[in-house]
Amino acid sequence: MGMTITEKIMASQSGRDKVRPGELVWVDVESVMTMDYLGKTCFDKFRSLGKTDVFDKNKVICVSDHLVPPPNQKFATMLNEWREVVKAHDITYFYDLGRQGIAHQIMVEQGHVLPGKVSIGTDSHANTYGAVGAVGNAVGVTDAAVAMATGKAWFRVPSSVKFHITGEWQPYIMAKDLSLHIMGMMHWNGHLIYKTLEFCGPAIDALSVAGRMTLCNMTVDLGAKNGIVAPDVKTQEYLKDIAKGDWDMLASDDDAEYEAVYEIDVSQLGPTVALPDKLDDTLPVEKVTGRKFNKAFVGTCTNGRLEDLAIMADILQDRQIHRDVNMIVVPASQGVYLEALRAGYLETLILAGAAIDTPSCAACAGIHTGVAGDGDIVLSAGNRNMKGRMGSKNAEIYLTSPAVVAASAIYGEITDPRTL
Amino acid sequence: MIKGTCWVADDYVMAYNIIVQEYWTSPIDKLENSKWVMAGVHEDFNKENGFKDCGYTFIVAGHNFAGGGKSIEHVIAGLMGAGIQAVFATSFARLQFRNAINYGLPFITSPDIDKKCKTGDTLEYDPESGIIKNLSQDLSFESIPTPPFVSEVAQAGGLMNYVKEKIAKGEAIG
Ligand code: SF4
Repeated sequence: MGMTITEKIMASQSGRDKVRPGELVWVDVESVMTMDYLGKTCFDKFRSLGKTDVFDKNKVICVSDHLVPPPNQKFATMLNEWREVVKAHDITYFYDLGRQGIAHQIMVEQGHVLPGKVSIGTDSHANTYGAVGAVGNAVGVTDAAVAMATGKAWFRVPSSVKFHITGEWQPYIMAKDLSLHIMGMMHWNGHLIYKTLEFCGPAIDALSVAGRMTLCNMTVDLGAKNGIVAPDVKTQEYLKDIAKGDWDMLASDDDAEYEAVYEIDVSQLGPTVALPDKLDDTLPVEKVTGRKFNKAFVGTCTNGRLEDLAIMADILQDRQIHRDVNMIVVPASQGVYLEALRAGYLETLILAGAAIDTPSCAACAGIHTGVAGDGDIVLSAGNRNMKGRMGSKNAEIYLTSPAVVAASAIYGEITDPRTL
Repeated sequence: MIKGTCWVADDYVMAYNIIVQEYWTSPIDKLENSKWVMAGVHEDFNKENGFKDCGYTFIVAGHNFAGGGKSIEHVIAGLMGAGIQAVFATSFARLQFRNAINYGLPFITSPDIDKKCKTGDTLEYDPESGIIKNLSQDLSFESIPTPPFVSEVAQAGGLMNYVKEKIAKGEAIG
């Protein structure tokens, strides 16, 4: 019996020939990420283990994303303490305000996450790292502290579920639509708890690394342990100038064992929308067209990348955002910001009436820039829409792709981009 | 052997309701986190020490306890601070399952237990055998056994102590 890619990674990184689902292993981690509001606790816990130096100064990655730029004194003070502790430990890669971005974007775009390796982070969407063929996993501060000290983390080897994706991507259909479609099909935090979700097939080969990031990102919201796409030439091309280490081009064996296999044909897939409060309450856009909203938000570790801004600029070129809609666009990192600026996308968006904000998590977790107030109806390209997520409990959040957000913003009501 | 009363929850008790948003950026501290633990799960618990003052020892829950994808350890610290010594559920969300193991709080999977217990029932849990008894209703439940590593971590008083001891002794991990 062969092994899946995730089993192979867990085996090689724990120094074994073979592992089986259910086994507990200690694996070597390629990188440990922590960020502004939990990072100080990680370092404090790390020192309480009796250590002063982290296992590798190049592999503990520190990012300011949830709290920057600080919206109030409490966060400003927290950030000051955070900066001090990072400096005190002489960490090589510190992506602080000015060089910042959402941690998961930074981890991938700066080459800290590599095919065939394991990376962990103290934020739930660390699953994003599977986009380049890594095992990416979210952990608490205790696991991060232990990994900072030892370079290791324990894992229970998950069983794998395969999503074989075929067909041709149609115009304006994005990885986000596939993510939301799977969410509706499998249910939020439902049957996929603990599993590895492996995405493969011609429609995955056709996806950019950015699209694969969107897809892997939301596997945590399905309750899965991780999502993964086996590395290919696109991955190699993406990583060749940025990788901070060596990598292994692993793939699942033909006779690997899967707990379930699902087939999806993207040719049939249309723009998809999740209704407020429950992520798995998803519908094709035509079922909700015409619903009014007053706030539009595109950004986050799910959809704040260059291709997301590109499709928005394409839709909003020479058009105007409806006067009743406030749109905030937040590039996922300074790198994305600069590229979007150079490509002219931001100019197009500004001319259409969008506000561009500093790369950060922004309003995604409701603690920062552009939060939702009472009565707001938000059309968002983010990843979570439970009550109160973006601020007020009396706000509603619809989730969809950047293309749907852009098209809808023109009319102030949910609109199918294919009908423009 | 642990004995005490239980609180019975529904399916889908979410981590972000166990610790509500305004405390996500607070320090992780059993006493502090326990004050408002469960505030978002039920109106009755939405006051200072609302859940803690009920004095439960166990939580019995259905599917996907502590789900919703939040990795914050305040959830486990808060439950422990409120006196919870074990949680029995039909399934757990992975992030908090992991945190529970790391803190040495038994998260025990037991199919169907949620349907057969009532809030206020007295339960008795034997970590050795994994047997959970409902003394109020004279029922007994089996649970899925915990791997040795998990018991070792619990015995050490959590992963931090477990690793600290290894480091102090110069022993390798894994
Ligand atoms: S963008 Fe949102 S989901 Fe992503 S890390 Fe930030 S707060 Fe979490």
